[in-house]
Amino acid sequence: MAIEIPLKEEQVMLKKMARDFLAAESPKTFVRKMMADEVGYSPELWKKMAGLGWQGLVFPEEFGGSAMSFRDLTILCEEMGRAVLPGPFYSTVILVGLPILEFGTDAQKKEFLPKIANGDIVCTLAALEESGDLYADDIHFKAKPRGAEYILNGTKLFVTDAKATDYYLLAARTRRTENPEDGITLFMVGAKEWGVYVTNMTIMDQTRKQYEVRFTNVPVSAKNIIGEVHKGWPILQQIALKACAALSAEMVGVGETAMEMTIDYLKNRQAFGVVIGSFQALKHKAADMYVAMEYSRSLMEWASECVKENDPDAAIAVAMAKANCGDAVKFVTDAGVQLHGGIGFTWDHDMHLYFKRGRYNDTAFGDGNYHKEWIARKLETNIM
Amino acid sequence: MTSGDTKKLDALREEVRAFLGKNLPANWGTPAYKAPEQGSPEATTLSKSFTKKLYEAGYTGFGVPAKFGGVERPPQEIAVIRQELGRRGYPMPNVGLGRLVVDTLLQWGTDEQKKRFIPGILSGQVHWIEGFSEPNAGSDLAGVQCTAVKKGDKWVINGQKCWTSGWDYGEWGFLLCKSDPQAPRHRNLTFFLFDCSTKGFSRKPLRQMTGEAHAQYGELFFDDMEITDDLRVGEVGRGWYVSMTTLIAERGGGQVGAASGEAGLQGLQGARSLGGVDDLIELAQNTKHFGQTAWDDAGVRRRIAQFAIENEAQRAYGVRLGALIRSGNASGNEASMSKLTRTEQGKREGDFACELLATYSQVLRGDPRAVNNGNYVYTMMFSRGTTIYMGTSEICRNILSERILGLPRGQ
Repeated sequence: MAIEIPLKEEQVMLKKMARDFLAAESPKTFVRKMMADEVGYSPELWKKMAGLGWQGLVFPEEFGGSAMSFRDLTILCEEMGRAVLPGPFYSTVILVGLPILEFGTDAQKKEFLPKIANGDIVCTLAALEESGDLYADDIHFKAKPRGAEYILNGTKLFVTDAKATDYYLLAARTRRTENPEDGITLFMVGAKEWGVYVTNMTIMDQTRKQYEVRFTNVPVSAKNIIGEVHKGWPILQQIALKACAALSAEMVGVGETAMEMTIDYLKNRQAFGVVIGSFQALKHKAADMYVAMEYSRSLMEWASECVKENDPDAAIAVAMAKANCGDAVKFVTDAGVQLHGGIGFTWDHDMHLYFKRGRYNDTAFGDGNYHKEWIARKLETNIM
Repeated sequence: MTSGDTKKLDALREEVRAFLGKNLPANWGTPAYKAPEQGSPEATTLSKSFTKKLYEAGYTGFGVPAKFGGVERPPQEIAVIRQELGRRGYPMPNVGLGRLVVDTLLQWGTDEQKKRFIPGILSGQVHWIEGFSEPNAGSDLAGVQCTAVKKGDKWVINGQKCWTSGWDYGEWGFLLCKSDPQAPRHRNLTFFLFDCSTKGFSRKPLRQMTGEAHAQYGELFFDDMEITDDLRVGEVGRGWYVSMTTLIAERGGGQVGAASGEAGLQGLQGARSLGGVDDLIELAQNTKHFGQTAWDDAGVRRRIAQFAIENEAQRAYGVRLGALIRSGNASGNEASMSKLTRTEQGKREGDFACELLATYSQVLRGDPRAVNNGNYVYTMMFSRGTTIYMGTSEICRNILSERILGLPRGQ
């Protein structure tokens, strides 16, 4: 149904293989089991994914990767969105693997990337604090130097997959000047260190676990700084860029699947002696869903290609994709519930899984309003 | 109004205040008051005992003739009473869908049925559940498949109902069944009342996407349940028309609601400030994005003002609709408009509050960091059901366009 920028043959195969694999390995019974699970992922499935080369997809072969592109990675993200896959792929690969690849020293890349590629470790980003938004000014978490170490104190919120994780990529403040973007440093911190306390947060999307993580006098070696001391903010911005592209790809998967489920229902459900898909009001709603998803897919594919090519328009393309996909996925999953009637509102029906995952992805790393404001300001600088 | 009338109303106002002062639970209205959990035995006891006192004092039960248990008062007195109740708040009656039964019986019931059932509802003593929707008959209510077969002077009921709110509190219920498989559509249904303790009746919860542990909705099962013919409301085969009265009342178009000033799903007016957006304004003032509060954003202010306009429009419409209903000139279809707009607006308001919350729109009730105890997030999710229940938005638009505007049916 969807019109795609022509995928190369290998990409078509990757997409099909991923869809079949996830249909078999992550059916909704598994998804619901993980929703009720404390930690929320299956180590067996994690290893199987590594066996397919997923975690290391874009890493160089010397680090156990397949040297494929960012666009290929977003193909996987789309399929994971379709399946509402529970598990720390997004946390490990997008939020931590990619920045280590781009900004890590050779020693750090050698230390972490092969383990990620092999499925030996899970990682996640710990950046957000009280405000819940990623503004430099809102990072207060302290890292105090002590010889060759730093001592970490503070609390991070909305940390995905903390109970599964082996390492946190933690954004801490090592100094404060008039410029809040100056003085943020990124550390790789072992999750099992004494002084790290993880508490569940009660979150609407139960397929993507989030936690509060408190660090009390936790030491971390200066060798574990990713990038340079005080200069972590630009790295966080790059993480945000890739995360927004990946989340957009997931949202396309989420939204298209919700739409397909709905079309299927409209074609089969009977009321008033006819198939309900024959009612014009519902047909028009379905058409609106299609339009929303087609434009979302278009923006997402453009944005993914821009990121892959390191295009100068990448930042604005990603912002537009994120904003549009967020608005679209909310609309489509909302219509998905409505067009299913009462059954769409039940726990047992799968629509609310898409509804909730769509809303997580929309709010993560800035919702539509956040990106539209950024876009407006950016476009203004273009005409000045 | 004469000064004598004004004096009477002032005296009534004082009387209601004194009643509330004497009968509201200790510490009511202060932070020290801990309301019993919704649905708990304590909540049920409180609601039943308070409503009984309210009824005996003549402060509830309007819109019903006294001979059937109603409380007859002039509209000015009703207004004063409801203002005072709205001002302080009070433990609400929990009769489930009992108020719909009152409207239905007044229109279609025998005098015996009215005398038998109405007082228990008005005094808050009996909780009622609705047996309309089925898994294969939602919007198409006329397509219900639950059967009622006459056996001597009894009816034998078989089938299943779903989307029954308050499913586990119900003491009595009402049912729409197919009583004649041969008759054409709309002529083959009969409306019944039933006692939930009757043999052959069972029920279970229906979990909804909001995920709460205690399901608000349930499914009802009828397995050769036998009920006597005196529980039939209206003639055999006329159940569809009886159920129309029930549905119109459910959407806020009923007589009883109109008599109490509640036409169009407006509820008590005393407690709500003009515009009804105080909480949204506070939320916007306390939320920061891009280094400023959301309230500093002109777009946010405009959207909140728009919600206020819509709230006042609905309230003003409720005043007009109430007068129309009391005059006997309402068709009943008007209520679909307020149902449509109130619920669609509820969705938009829920989404808007979640936009303000941004990342915190993920955090549910029960989490110590939830904003406003997670109420905005819960309301946003729950609102998805409101545009489906009580007549979907699509059905409401069909009713407006076909039955009020006279546009041709078709697809």
